[in-house]
Formats: sequence, structure tokens, C-alpha cells
Amino acid sequence: MRVLAEVPSFEAVVERHLDDVHGYLVYLTRDRGAAEDLTAETFEKALRSWRRFDPRRGSARTWLLNLARSTALDHFRAEERRRRRERAYAPERREHEDGVFGGLSPALERALAELSAGEREVIALRILLDLDGEAAARVLGISPTACSTRLSRALKKLEERMSADVAA
Amino acid sequence: MSQPELVDEIRAARIVASPELRARVLALATAVPPAPPRRRWSARPTALVLVPAAVAIAIAGALVAGLAGSGRTKRAEPAPAAQPFARDATTAREKATGSGAAGSIPATPGRAQRYESELTLKVASLSAATKRALRLTRSYRGYVRSVDYGSGTGRGSAYLVVRVPVGRVQEAIVAFSALGDIVDQHTSIQDVQPTVDRRFRQMQAIRDVIAKLQARLESPALTADERRALEDRLVAQRRRLVVLQKEQAALLREMSFATVSLSLRSARQAAAAPDRPGRIERALDRSGSILLDELKVAVYVLIVGAPLLVLLALSLAGSRLWRRRVDARLLSR
Repeated sequence: MRVLAEVPSFEAVVERHLDDVHGYLVYLTRDRGAAEDLTAETFEKALRSWRRFDPRRGSARTWLLNLARSTALDHFRAEERRRRRERAYAPERREHEDGVFGGLSPALERALAELSAGEREVIALRILLDLDGEAAARVLGISPTACSTRLSRALKKLEERMSADVAA
Repeated sequence: MSQPELVDEIRAARIVASPELRARVLALATAVPPAPPRRRWSARPTALVLVPAAVAIAIAGALVAGLAGSGRTKRAEPAPAAQPFARDATTAREKATGSGAAGSIPATPGRAQRYESELTLKVASLSAATKRALRLTRSYRGYVRSVDYGSGTGRGSAYLVVRVPVGRVQEAIVAFSALGDIVDQHTSIQDVQPTVDRRFRQMQAIRDVIAKLQARLESPALTADERRALEDRLVAQRRRLVVLQKEQAALLREMSFATVSLSLRSARQAAAAPDRPGRIERALDRSGSILLDELKVAVYVLIVGAPLLVLLALSLAGSRLWRRRVDARLLSR
């Protein structure tokens, strides 16, 4: 007999996964303020589409991370359009602020900040949130093998940056 | 710093949402109570239910339509009745199909009537039935006008035209119908009594004329020329009377016999002809043709719709690929 998956309450989901979603978005955007706004926006979306959530198709965390990714990508698109408009008038100078990733050594902070959003994303999913390969691959929309490759390259790059920083 | 050390440091530095963010998000959840999640049907179970259901409905519909349609049988329309031979003639027509004794129409006693009957019979043995028909004809004091007999391997037929006295024709038809199974029967009666009566009146009139001519010829006052003219008229009237008498006699003789046409077919020949299928067979046949039509429509829809579906799938795949490339470009910064 098929057992129907238990659906948790929305409040419980918020309590349980808010830090995960927020951390993921911090890694993706490397901007605390933007990550907070996107986290709130993600949960707004989650609230609106709560009826569509099906626990049989995946965990609430994966579902929320998918929403967060989509929200972040929308944000990146909007940012790109804005930058394109403003580029002609004032070239952007974005500097990394310390302590964005919370409690990391300054060298690792800088090395992480130098990685691409995609590389930070896979590190956030696999290491920070400790998602398994399959779940992370589902969030990224790629195969588990591609996910492992991406993580391996990101860690290697991170290691290289750290070594270069130490050498400097 | 090695990779495991990097991993450990990242894992150790958990990012915690600020109390403001937590309060903001929780306020969202408590302000508008979310609707309970509804059960969603994914495409696969829906297809697993819908496709067999559609197939079952198509088959059931075809079977029901086939069963409903099998009750309606196409019966051959009876041939239009023959035109009456004369205005005053009466024609009776009877057509019976199926087994059993022939339903014959009796001739009206005392009236001159042309009685014709056609019988088509399916017989077990063509030879025996033909011989029996000839014997029956003779036993009813009738005679055979023509016989056309032919038999071969697996098929055979005989066509007999016999004449039977009108008074015994009913009896004869019943006896003939017992030779086999009646496939078809047709009886025609034409009343010719008015013709007989008219001819009789003409003959009476001629007799009166003859009597008058004979009376005039007995007169002694007639000249030789007058006598010769009266004698010529008398001879002409007598000849006319004789002709009418012969015609009347021939007609009455003809009307005293009925013509019976017997068409005998061997049972083997009849068996060779396809039997009318039963209701279940007809229902299955009809259901099969309906299912075939449904299949044709499905194939047609598939042929017409497949290129559109392929185009749709390609455009969806293309848009997804394009979006992924855009996302990858955005995330590569």
C-alpha cells in the first residue's frame, strides 16, 4: 500500500530551512543585503505556491532551494540589465566586503569571492548545506556526474587561490 | 590549505539568518495563512489511467454501437407489383420467404382467372425433387410445359413450368412446397371473366343477326341479288361467330389450368452461398469496423499532429537550452 508523504506546516518549513536558503543565497550573491531580500522573496514565492508543493517529488529544502535559485537568477538578470544601462555613465566598481560568508578566514573569504557564482553555488549546496550529489544536481538542473565535476573544479580553484594568497 | 581543510572550515562557518530576516519571513507566514497543499497528479500516473481508459471507452463504444446496429437488418425490398393486365383485371400477389408450407391463394370458383405461381425451393436432392415434381404434376392431372435441368459438382438447378387444373392448384402448390425449403414464392391471379362475358355478348349478338338473316332469306319476295347479298352476310356472320367461339373456348381452356413455375436449387448450391450471419457475428463485425475507423482517426491525428508535437518539443528544448546558457553565463561571473 502506498503511504502518502506527510506535509509539514509552512511555519515549520520556514523555521527549519530559513538558514539554509539564506546561506545558499549569500554564497550565490556574495552580498548579505541582497541575500536577505532574496530570501524574503523566496519565502513569499513559497507561500504563494505552497499548494503546488508535493513532498513525494522532493524534500521541502530542495523545493525551497529551487525557488531560491530561480529568484536569484531573476535578480542577476535584473542586475545585468541595470548594469548595462548604467555602464555608459558610471563604470561599476564592486568591492568585496569582509564577513559576508560568516566566520571564515579572510583568505578563504577572498578566495570564495573570486570564484564565479556557479562555483560558489555548488560549494554551498554540497559543502555548506551538505546536500547529496543527486539532490544538488536536481537543484542545479544537471546530472550528478556533472555536479561532482563542477564541485571538484571549484574546490581545486579555491585551493589554488588560497595557495596563491599564501604565497603572496 | 588542503581541500579537506577548506571543506571543514566552510562547514564550520554556518550562515545564520538575522533575527530581522527571520521575523520578516515568519510574519509573512503568519499574516496570510497558506492554503493546505493539494494533492497533485503527476503526468505519468494520469497518463497511465487516461490512456487505458480512452482505449477501453473506444472499445466499449464500438461494441455497444456494433451491438445496437446489429439488430437492424437490411431486407430486400419486395419487387414492385406487376401492372394489371387489363383495367378490369384483378391481380393478387403474394410473396413469402422462409421455410414452411406455401401460402397459396385460391382461385374464385365460377370465374375465369389466369392463375400463375412461381416457387423457388432449396432441395436436398435435385434429381429426386425434379422427378417427384413431375410425378405430382401428373397426379393432379396436369402436364409439364417445360423442364430445364442441370447439375454439376457442388451446384445444380432445375426450372420446371407445369400446368395444373385450377381446381387443384392450391393442393399442388402445397405438395410442391414440401419438396424442400421455400426460398421465394410469387402468385399472380388475373381475372379474365369480363373478357369472357364481353365475348359471350358479342357471340349472342351475332347469333341474333344470323337468326334475323335466316328469317329474311325465307321471304319469297327477295330478288336474286338481294338473296345473294343476304347469304354473303350470313356466311360472314357465321365465320365471325366460329372465330369468337374458338377464341372463347381457347381462353376458357387456358384458364382451366394454372401455370406453376418451379425453380429448384440443390442445397449444396445454397450452402455455397454465404449464409446470413448471426447477431453476434454482425455485432462483432460492426464493432470491428468501428474500431478500425477509430484507429484510422487516431493514426490520422498522429500523422497530422506528430510534426506539430515535434516542433513544439524542439521549441521547448531550444528555449530551455537557451535559458540554461543564459543562466550559466550569469553564474559564471
